Amino acid sequence: MEWLIKLVQNVFVEIFETPLPGIGIRYEFDTQAGKHLGVLVHRDGQRDVLVYCDDDIDSCNETVRLSTSESASLVELLGGTKITERLSDLKHEVQGLSIEWVSLEPSSFLVNKTIGEGRVRTESGASIVAVVRGTESIPGPGPELVLLSGDTLLVIGSQDGVIRARRIITG
Amino acid sequence: MQIEIALIELGILMLALALLGRLAQRFGLPAIPFYLLAGLFFGEGGIIPITEAGPFVDVGASLGVVFLMFVLGLEYSPQELRQSISTNRLSSVIDLVFNATPGVVIGLLLGWGALGAVVLGGITYVSSSGVIAKMLTDLNRLGNRETPTILSILVIEDLVMAVFLPVVAVLLAGDSVMGGVVSGIVSLTIVSAVLLMPSSAGRQVSRVMNTSSSEVLLISLLGVVLLLAGLAEYMHISYAIGAFLVGIILSGQVAERGRALLEPLRDSFAALFFVSFGLGVNPADLVEFIPLALGLALVSAISKFGSGYLAAKKNGFAAKGRRRAGVTLIARGELSVVLAGIAIAGGINSDIGPVTILFVLILAIGGSVATRFAP
Repeated sequence: MEWLIKLVQNVFVEIFETPLPGIGIRYEFDTQAGKHLGVLVHRDGQRDVLVYCDDDIDSCNETVRLSTSESASLVELLGGTKITERLSDLKHEVQGLSIEWVSLEPSSFLVNKTIGEGRVRTESGASIVAVVRGTESIPGPGPELVLLSGDTLLVIGSQDGVIRARRIITG
Repeated sequence: MQIEIALIELGILMLALALLGRLAQRFGLPAIPFYLLAGLFFGEGGIIPITEAGPFVDVGASLGVVFLMFVLGLEYSPQELRQSISTNRLSSVIDLVFNATPGVVIGLLLGWGALGAVVLGGITYVSSSGVIAKMLTDLNRLGNRETPTILSILVIEDLVMAVFLPVVAVLLAGDSVMGGVVSGIVSLTIVSAVLLMPSSAGRQVSRVMNTSSSEVLLISLLGVVLLLAGLAEYMHISYAIGAFLVGIILSGQVAERGRALLEPLRDSFAALFFVSFGLGVNPADLVEFIPLALGLALVSAISKFGSGYLAAKKNGFAAKGRRRAGVTLIARGELSVVLAGIAIAGGINSDIGPVTILFVLILAIGGSVATRFAP
């Protein structure tokens, strides 16, 4: 299973998603060089590229407003086609399997329960094959592992199973 | 109504509003307080009283409330509302307790009775989602990490008003406390039903309404929202809330296009609403309420800063982010005026008019300026 986790981590960084009521969705992640970057997707298709301050981590140094066509061009420059290639590689290697990272919100009923108690596999058919907790990762967790708020769970199964599992985990 | 005089009066009024709007824009301030000032200017005891256009302004003001609430509802989807509630439950309770208390206590001290005190509590409670969302956009703060917390709190406040307004409307109509309780339960049920409605139902309604012609879509939307707002008022749920809930139910393309089509209408009629509120107040009466309004504004600014700061702290933001969240939420605006307007129409203590005007003037302008200079 470890090769699979490595593979997923190599293709994607972990991206946090936050809804902004009435405006759109904001995605953010940390770069290896220690910068915090974000993209705000407005409902009308406008995108803002956000570069966060180093000394005031909650605010943006720079907000670059991009129209739909400008963001398409930027994606091209950043090698968007390459990402698509790697994505299809990934799909090929795990045909018939669906993989998803699901983070455990404080409101989830799974918080402070063991994996066994959560009955995710019984109910959905998909398994929790790894748990990422802060910088530590727990591959192949047993049913006795207690899940904590803020954990990120790697769920694998059939496409429907993963969707069902996601629904159970996010409550 | 002498039509030529009415048209001339409306023309002068609109030009004055346009001029004030420019002024507000130049200083980066919200337009609402300036529209209220214009109302004072054109009202009874003002410099150029409006006479013939009065009936039009009255109806226009009600349309303004309908459009204001409808477009607000169109911006939110039931999923977003549910998510906001589940992530900021405790913070929104703190927000309610901190910010309704100043109004309730001062209302009681003034001897306005329980109902008057509750109305004043609502006025001090609700921040202005219009003013604040515009400021966040203008100041390029939409990307800030504390912004979702601010927006979630605003969304929940708007929802709380959807339960609060109908209760106040029934109590004002002179019904018993029992009537208020019943109305509260009815509106709570309706609001929960709208929130828990499966998104497929909203899409279904929206698909039926969707048409390629913008003209037909606009007129259908107007028909639906006016009809349902009127029915809501007939059932004592308040037409403002009727319009808000219709907006929440509509989703997808219809909501997206509807917003673009209705925004110009909302802007023009909402301006009339603020003017009409100012028209009902004699400027000479304002002076005696200045100390009271200043005190109320100061306390409400501090309590809002506190509740916003705590909400941002709970969501794990750093000191500067917390301060920004607190300061940004201070601005009060349209919903305070809508609530006061409904209360005055219901025959509550008329002192609430001048107090609300001064309160919103101080906190819409003060809150915006403070937000601009927040760290």
